[in-house]
Amino acid sequence: MEYDAVVVGSGPAGSITARFATELGAKVLIVERRAEVGVPVLCGEGVSQKIDKWNILEGSRWIANKVDGARIFSPNKTMVKIAADMAGNETGYVVYRDIFDQELARSAVKAGAKLMLKTEAKELIKEKGKIVGVKVKQLNDTFEIKADIVVGADGVESKIGKWAGINTTLKPYDIETCAQYTLTNVDCNNNYCDFYLGNKIAPGGYVWVFPKRKDEANVGIGILGSLSEKGMALKLLDKFIAGHPELKKGEPVRLIAGAAPVAEPVETVKDNLILVGDAARHVDPITGGGLTTSLEGGKIAGQTIGNAVKKQRFDKETLSTYETGWKKAFGKKLHRNYVVKEIMLDFDDKTLNMLADSVKDYNFQEFSTLSLVKALVFKHPTLLKKLAPLIKLV
Amino acid sequence: MEKPKALVDETKCLACGGCISVCPQDALSMCGGRAYVIARKCISCDICIKICPVGAIGKEGH
Repeated sequence: MEYDAVVVGSGPAGSITARFATELGAKVLIVERRAEVGVPVLCGEGVSQKIDKWNILEGSRWIANKVDGARIFSPNKTMVKIAADMAGNETGYVVYRDIFDQELARSAVKAGAKLMLKTEAKELIKEKGKIVGVKVKQLNDTFEIKADIVVGADGVESKIGKWAGINTTLKPYDIETCAQYTLTNVDCNNNYCDFYLGNKIAPGGYVWVFPKRKDEANVGIGILGSLSEKGMALKLLDKFIAGHPELKKGEPVRLIAGAAPVAEPVETVKDNLILVGDAARHVDPITGGGLTTSLEGGKIAGQTIGNAVKKQRFDKETLSTYETGWKKAFGKKLHRNYVVKEIMLDFDDKTLNMLADSVKDYNFQEFSTLSLVKALVFKHPTLLKKLAPLIKLV
Repeated sequence: MEKPKALVDETKCLACGGCISVCPQDALSMCGGRAYVIARKCISCDICIKICPVGAIGKEGH
């Protein structure tokens, strides 16, 4: 079997890469280990409304709910409200992630990409030290797929990167370990995505409550790996729900686990192999959300591949257009937010309460990191020292 | 005596892949929709045990 590019993984990053490469004339195959695209869901299901502008999803079947914004609760429940267009990348729409992923896969297939399910990449095929494809296992058959370009879209656990010699191992400090329920029979009349902070609630992370319908919410927790103990995420999530006046009335119709990289991006181009999405660590280190960056990066990857196929050049130099492209689009933001993550991890509950109290009346119509930092430092001059690394970056 | 290796309880694993991404020895893989420890590679560092959000990883013999 021969293709211009083989994409390992049919998540959003893999599908969008395949789609844009195919649209430029490349012959692309996506291989997916699972029996159904998008299942099981491994995500909080929030995404910014800015994806509307990108015109990459048809219809509205993937939308569960459109929210009015975000509310952040400090440990003593001081609330900070932010309108949807200011609230960053993880609020705006609450989606059905399985349908969302399937729609993206469908658009890749519509453009001409091939998709194989129950097909697991086992190793890279190398000839004279050069990557020439992947060996896969499909049910009982093992066979080779030859390709000029290999794309690792294989998620947080990326093996493709490892096999190519890219260090993708996450430090416990750089991962959020997550558990999540879909709770039904809960009242979601407040149409906001809620975030609860606190070192007792979710060490190094947060609890989220995203309304999917009037009576159903995606309720989950992410905690920092280095602060986690065996099974802690699910235990703390259960504790949070049991102590919440509304959520405790609900019943779960789905339980899932997840892991989100909150790391600096890795090397994303190695010879004729590229990494996209979670595999590339294209995730906001503050929120653990990666849908928008994965889609944006995947589009650049697809275009880069399409152009490489046109020129029949598959060297690192040609493919580096991808790395230059995503760095320009969101590299600075990811780095800045990594610095913010490190600063925030130092905040105890008292500091979080104080910060929430300072900004609770802030006019977030003008929200920007710089204006937020200025407002905070003005109220709390002692914070200047802690925020100093950030000020250089905004 | 050698320290006990990590072992996945496949009745609890929800296949999120977190353990695989943090293993410093590449000793974990997904197999049949569940995480799986390759015992000969495991160095008993217990990172995967602590990371697992649902407590699906324990030690051999426990």
